[in-house]
Amino acid sequence: MKKILLIEDDLALSLLYEEELKNDGYSVVVAHDADSALELVKNEPFDLIVTDIRMPGKDGIELIANVMGLRKDIPIIINTAYQSYKDDFMTWAADAYIIKSSSLDELKAKIKELIGN
Amino acid sequence: MIERYSLQPSNFNPETPKELVILSIIAQSFFQPFSLEDNLLVILTALTAGSGIGFNRAMLFLNDGMKLKATTWLGPRSPEEAEAIWTMLSSPGIGYAEIVAYNRDLVTRMVKDIQPRLKSLVYDLESRTLPLPAAAAVNKEIVLVTEAQNEPVVDSNFIKFIQVDSFLCLPLVAQDEILGEIVVDKGITHAPIEARDIELARLCALLAGNYIYTTNLYKKVVEMEKMAALGEMAAFVSHQLRNPIVAIGGFTKQILSSPCQPDRCRRNLNIIQEQVKHLEDIIYKLSHFLKITIRELQPVDVRPILLNLVERPDIKLKAARKTISLKINENLPLIQCDPIYFEEAVVNLLDNALDVTPEGGKVYLRARPYNDKYVLIIIKDSGPGLDEKSRDKLFSPFYTTKENGTGLGLLFVKRIIDTCNGKLEVQSKPGRGTMFKLYFKIQERGPS
Repeated sequence: MKKILLIEDDLALSLLYEEELKNDGYSVVVAHDADSALELVKNEPFDLIVTDIRMPGKDGIELIANVMGLRKDIPIIINTAYQSYKDDFMTWAADAYIIKSSSLDELKAKIKELIGN
Repeated sequence: MIERYSLQPSNFNPETPKELVILSIIAQSFFQPFSLEDNLLVILTALTAGSGIGFNRAMLFLNDGMKLKATTWLGPRSPEEAEAIWTMLSSPGIGYAEIVAYNRDLVTRMVKDIQPRLKSLVYDLESRTLPLPAAAAVNKEIVLVTEAQNEPVVDSNFIKFIQVDSFLCLPLVAQDEILGEIVVDKGITHAPIEARDIELARLCALLAGNYIYTTNLYKKVVEMEKMAALGEMAAFVSHQLRNPIVAIGGFTKQILSSPCQPDRCRRNLNIIQEQVKHLEDIIYKLSHFLKITIRELQPVDVRPILLNLVERPDIKLKAARKTISLKINENLPLIQCDPIYFEEAVVNLLDNALDVTPEGGKVYLRARPYNDKYVLIIIKDSGPGLDEKSRDKLFSPFYTTKENGTGLGLLFVKRIIDTCNGKLEVQSKPGRGTMFKLYFKIQERGPS
């Protein structure tokens, strides 16, 4: 089973994503901030990271930079409510940039494209 | 040996060369919070002060879009008036402020009879056959006109207006941009315009051009900042609204998509309800925040407000199993604010302080005079404190560390304090708690 690390500070949204992705057959680990996510990356193997940008403490961009220092090979999807950063996301070494929507189809399709299921 | 001098020139001894006095007066204007119009008036005065450079009258044109428009004409209309002005300007101790006040008055008096006629002096800078004086601005060169009647390139309407034969056109240019023009003459003394006059006039024109340029630039920057702030605000608002909307949509979809377990359905509906409440909260606070306008600051006695505030049921509930340490000086002076907004600002901070203080911990609320000018309110928590990064983000809109926070509270507090002309300081270190210091200006006592 493919294992996804989901970083989302909003509790309702993290629950929604966790349930929906588990429903699609993935194993999902949730972190609510960048520091605890980094601890997880150090200790567990993940097939994919889905992260928000804006959160308390380190933001998603810093998180990505730190993950790159630990494990270069994990694909990363930015899943955010910000539309304005979309043009820059390639420079952050993320593999995809998805704007949060109540339909998770785009997110799910991207995950499937990157790691299959 | 060390000698110290003030940056701002004050009185000169009588031997100081006139040119230096004039430039010093103009230089003083850099230190004054006067408007562009006032500063330009000083330059016009320097040009026309009888004992100064030696021109008698100066007309200012400004570039308004693509048109050069006459806006001010300064100078005496008769030798008698000239005598009065020059005597005044050469009296000892005359400084920048006096000149501005005097000239404002002079221009206002002249406005009635001259202004309507002055308006007729408008030149289209795009025009192919532009006469003098406007041609000087377009060609960016100083032009000395003598025997104007014989020169077809001089606008006859302009000659009729100023009624002199000789005048000097000084273009106002900065960074290659045409900003205006000053035309000076010696219509009262009828003395010839000499090379030395032109040298000094050139200097005045360069300074005036720079004044206009920097003022325009400043206006542009302010406008751009406003637009940038608006754009940022819009991005933050849409971000903030999107999260709860996505949650509502997502959980609704779950309910609708498959045969829903009653437990799951109920849970989803609860989440949806919470998210709707959160949205309402954001919208309420946002509109509340945008609405803060205090029409008139009033004297506020903070002691009773603060004493009352810690008895509020919402505060008491939060303060259960925590201590609020209260020290409010008696006989505090009145501050300038609005009682309702003052209370809201303090409640907001106290609320935050109670949130982050662990059970058994203390929150400190203090009020005391500071420095004869302020009343200082201190709110300190026993929470985890903030690192430098979080402290910098503290006042950015929608920044929150609370699960259901809107990230507008502190912004709201700051806005209230700004509106009351107060000051806000934050001191915080990880592990040491956070302290907010609010300085409110003391209401000055009017004559009783």
